[in-house]
This record gives sequence, structure tokens and C-alpha cells, in this order.
Amino acid sequence: MRLPFTRRAAAGETSPGVHPQPLWSYRPQSDREAGDAVVSNLLLHWFPSKVYKPSLAWNYSAWLGTISGALFFLLVLSGLPLMFLYVPSVERAYQSVKDIEYVVTFGWWIRAVHRIGAHLMVVAVVLHLARVFFTGAYKNGVGQGQQREWNWVIGVVMLLLTLFLSFTGYLLPWDQLAFWAVTVGTNIASAVPGIGPRIRELLIGGRAIEQATLIRFYVLHIIVLPGALGGLFAYHMWRIRKDGGLARADAAALAPDAKDTGPVPTKTYTLLGVARGTSPAVTARSPEAPDQTVNAVPDLTRRALIVILGTFALVSILASAIPSPLEEPANALITPNPAKAPWYFLWLQEIVTDTTIRLGSLTINGAFLGGVILPGLLVGLLTVWPWLDKSAVSTAGLWFPRSRRRQNLLFILAMLFILAFTFVGMFMRGPYWNLYWPWETWPGIPGRI
Amino acid sequence: MSDAKQPQNTDRRDFLLKLGAGAGFVAITAQAGASLRSLVPNVTYDAPTTVKVGPPGEFPDGLKFLPDQRLFVFRNGKTFHAISAVCTHLGCTVRAEALSRAEEQTIDGQPLRLTHRFMCPCHGSRYGGDGTNVSGPAPKPLAWYRLSVSPDDGQLVADLADEVDHSFRLTLP
Repeated sequence: MRLPFTRRAAAGETSPGVHPQPLWSYRPQSDREAGDAVVSNLLLHWFPSKVYKPSLAWNYSAWLGTISGALFFLLVLSGLPLMFLYVPSVERAYQSVKDIEYVVTFGWWIRAVHRIGAHLMVVAVVLHLARVFFTGAYKNGVGQGQQREWNWVIGVVMLLLTLFLSFTGYLLPWDQLAFWAVTVGTNIASAVPGIGPRIRELLIGGRAIEQATLIRFYVLHIIVLPGALGGLFAYHMWRIRKDGGLARADAAALAPDAKDTGPVPTKTYTLLGVARGTSPAVTARSPEAPDQTVNAVPDLTRRALIVILGTFALVSILASAIPSPLEEPANALITPNPAKAPWYFLWLQEIVTDTTIRLGSLTINGAFLGGVILPGLLVGLLTVWPWLDKSAVSTAGLWFPRSRRRQNLLFILAMLFILAFTFVGMFMRGPYWNLYWPWETWPGIPGRI
Repeated sequence: MSDAKQPQNTDRRDFLLKLGAGAGFVAITAQAGASLRSLVPNVTYDAPTTVKVGPPGEFPDGLKFLPDQRLFVFRNGKTFHAISAVCTHLGCTVRAEALSRAEEQTIDGQPLRLTHRFMCPCHGSRYGGDGTNVSGPAPKPLAWYRLSVSPDDGQLVADLADEVDHSFRLTLP
């Protein structure tokens, strides 16, 4: 496919590295054209012109980062029409969501896309984090100026932003689910000794969950958090380029049979038009060798498109099949029984249930221990892990290397722990947060006080 | 002559540069501070904490739940007491469950007829009939609040800002 306004430069018309006019194609005929496509197209510009072939493998990265990015994009897209329809006021929020669900043509579908996309984004981001951990991809390899550990830290922050985005979005329908999730969530913040109540007051804009709370969460949800996430996303991408691509490319360079290739013309100088005539000679390691690299256009772009389209398709189909729940309008007077957090916070709800500790006359509220200290430690540990991981650089970019077996096991255990708690919270907690087997029926709850 | 002037020029330029950068920094910090400060509420439009809850005669023997105040008011003949329905763990509203048989107990030196127990739907905290936390994650007992009789119209008044101990009773003449 060739865009009508692009044409191939006639032979002899230009010097190497000089672009007489926009020239790029979705189906390049030469390396030169493939490189040009990347350099002269704004959307493709975040890719290198050449990529290390094994980095593109489905079974290495599973393209989870791309999926997360695609979902974020989809959430912004589906959020736009919802912003036209939703009214962030305590009197009208619930009705407007109800209208989106039952009155607006295709409103139910847009809302479902937004909701399913958000759920899947939590899954994709967590899996992406797990992939990077298991492959030790936060390790710096052979490249100069690599700061992969900092990109990992950015990634952890992006995970937290994703969760906070979900949490703030959760409140907006102003139904029972929303109201009590926010009651519990912000009370966890107020369990911090000393400044806790002030943090809560700042979060909800007063002492009760009211209009001030809704507008705060709304602005956080539509501007502050997506803006922050978008900015970090751009930086995350840029760092991948600065760090020389995925960690796997480094592993290949460190492989025993890696050889210097001798002088090769590097694409960067010629493509940017820095040099004319003879290219400057630069020595490259073997991953840069022609037989190990492919052009980003179309090899990388094609796969990225498949992943993005696949993600969109999956979300669209799921959104058509799974209806979005809307509970009764928020009622500050009645707590649902049981009142459950969204699934990705259920493990936390389970932990705050189990961590109230009594030492003699001293009682430590589980809200503080399980809601603040424990998750804080977990996130802290996750953040500094690249500096704790002393395994060899050569293990970066490999799945489950022997020398990282112990830390991978630890990570899996932590994940299983969280999954088990999630499972208990999801399927085994009934009225009054009592334990039931998943197949047991809950007893009827008498009355409503 | 120009040689002698050189360092002076540099000093001035350097000073102006630092002055400009410093002023910019101060301006941005102050504006950011002002913007953030505006988010800290100066006034909260909370519901009043001293509330008339109705004439004592309208309260049944046993328990009455007042959803607006999230308060349980107990009556035993002429004595009244009130226990908060706000769970001390994370602030959900606890539910009262009638005991199959009322118990008489002495709590803080005062006899008390226990007719209910309280359970929280959020994290499973349980409280005894006087609001003492029995099991689950609740760190302390449910609050007891002061009850009084309004001098103007004789209604029962609950003071949600005045926590009292478990020996408190309001006894009507």
C-alpha cells in the first residue's frame, strides 16, 4: 500500500541521507525505505529502524506492554464519549450512568468497553510486570548509559497509577458498590497514625463522602491520573530506546559467540542526514549484524498492529457479552452485606480483615497494618528489587534462568499468596464476611439494619 | 581595561541569571503551593452532631436504629442509652442481630440488659451487646454517645461528638 502523496525518489535525485520530500511506505522495498518510514513518520518515530529479531518473539515478551498501552489508548478513547454523558454530581451521577446503560444508543457498549478495558488493563500491567521480573529485564547489559532499573521503577509507579485509576473510576457511578468501596478505601488512609485523618480529609474534600469527594475523584480520574500515566508512558517508551531495546538484545550481545562485526554503516547517521557520501564507520556487536536484525517496518509494526487490533477486538467482543453491573444508588445509611471491593483489591480487603493485632493492651488496627504497612512494604520491595538482585547480567532477557531461581520462586509465591487471598475474598466470603465454601449457599439475612 | 572589567561583568550576569532563576523557582513554588492549598477544605458542611431524634415515648422497648445518625438507641423502661453503628475498623455500618434470649449483665458497675449483638458486613467484626469488640479486625468497642432530653420540647437529643463510657444511662423521671 502506498499513500498517494508519497513517491519513490528517482535515482540520482538525492544524496544519501537527504530527504527531498516525505517518503515512506507501509510496504518498504528496501532497507533504506524501511528506515525512512520510521524516521519520517511521527507515529513510527518511537521505534528504531532496526530491531533485534528475537525481541519480537511472541513467547518472549507476550507483547504485554503493547497490550497494556493499547488498553490505555482504548480507555482514553472510550472515556471520551462517556465524559459527554456523565454528570459528576451526587444528585445526577447515578441517573446519568443509568441513562448511559439503558437509554443512550450503544451507551451500554461504550461503558462495557471502558469497564472491561480497565479490568483487563490491571491484568495486563500485572502480567507485564511479572514478565519483566521473570526475565530479569530490569538489568543493565552491554549498552552505554542504560538505566533499566529506573524504567522498572517507572513501571511500578505506572502500575500504582493504573490501580488508582481503577479505584477512582469505580466511585463515579455513585452506587452502593462505589460508595462503600470508597468509604473503606479512604478509611484505610485515615488509619495512618497522626496524619491519617488529614489525608482522608484531603482525599474526600471534607469529613463525609459527598459532592466534594465525587468531584475530586472525577478530576483525578479524567485529567490528573491519565495525564500522569500518559507522561510516564512516553518516558517509559523513550527509556526502552535509550536502553537499547528489550533486555534480550543485550543477552544476545553477551552470548559467547558474539563477535565484533567490523565496520558497518550505522543507520542512525545516514538516516538523520548527518553524513553525506561515505557513511561513518562504526563497529557493532553481533546483534547489530544484518542476519540478527530486521527492519522495524514492517516486522515490528505488523506485529504491534496485530496485538493492538487483537486487544481491541477482544475487548469489543467481551464488552458485547458481559453486561456491566450497576447496583442500587449510593446509600450512606445501609452497608451492603457482604460489601466487597473490586477483585483486584479483594486481597487487600482480606488482609485488613486478618491483621488486627493485639499485644496486651495495645491494639494495632488491621487497617493500618494490612492496609498501609504491608502493601507499602510490598511496593517498596518491588521498587528496589533491581538493586537487590545480584544475579549475573547474562541472565537478563532469559526466562527462569537457574541462577535467579530463588527470587523467581519468591515472586511466584507472593503472586500465589495474593491470588489465594483474592480467591477467598471473591468466592468464599459471604454475609458478615463469614467464610463459606464456594458451592455453599448463603443463609438469608434477616431484616435490613 | 577590558580585562579588568571582565570578571565584574560575569559576576553581574551570573547574579542576574541566578536572580531570574530563583525568582522563577519561587514564583512556581508559591503558585503550586497556593493551588494545592486551595484543595484543603476550610469549611466542611457536615451534618450537625447534636441531633433531636424524637420524643422518648416513640422509642420501643429494646432497640431502634436511626439510619441518618448511624446510631442504635436502646430503651429499657425509663432508661436509654445509645451506641454508634459505625464500625471502628473501617467505618462500615454494622448491623444489629437480636439475641435469642436477652441477658442481664453488669457493665462498668451498671446493670445492662443485652438484647442484640452487632456484626459488620465489610470485614466481619463482631461486637457484643454493649458494643465491646468480640472478634474480627475491629480494634476497639463501638462508641457510646451521650443522650439527653431537650429542655424546649422534651425530645431525645443525641450528641454524636460526646463519647461516654459504658456506664452512661439516661433515666427519665
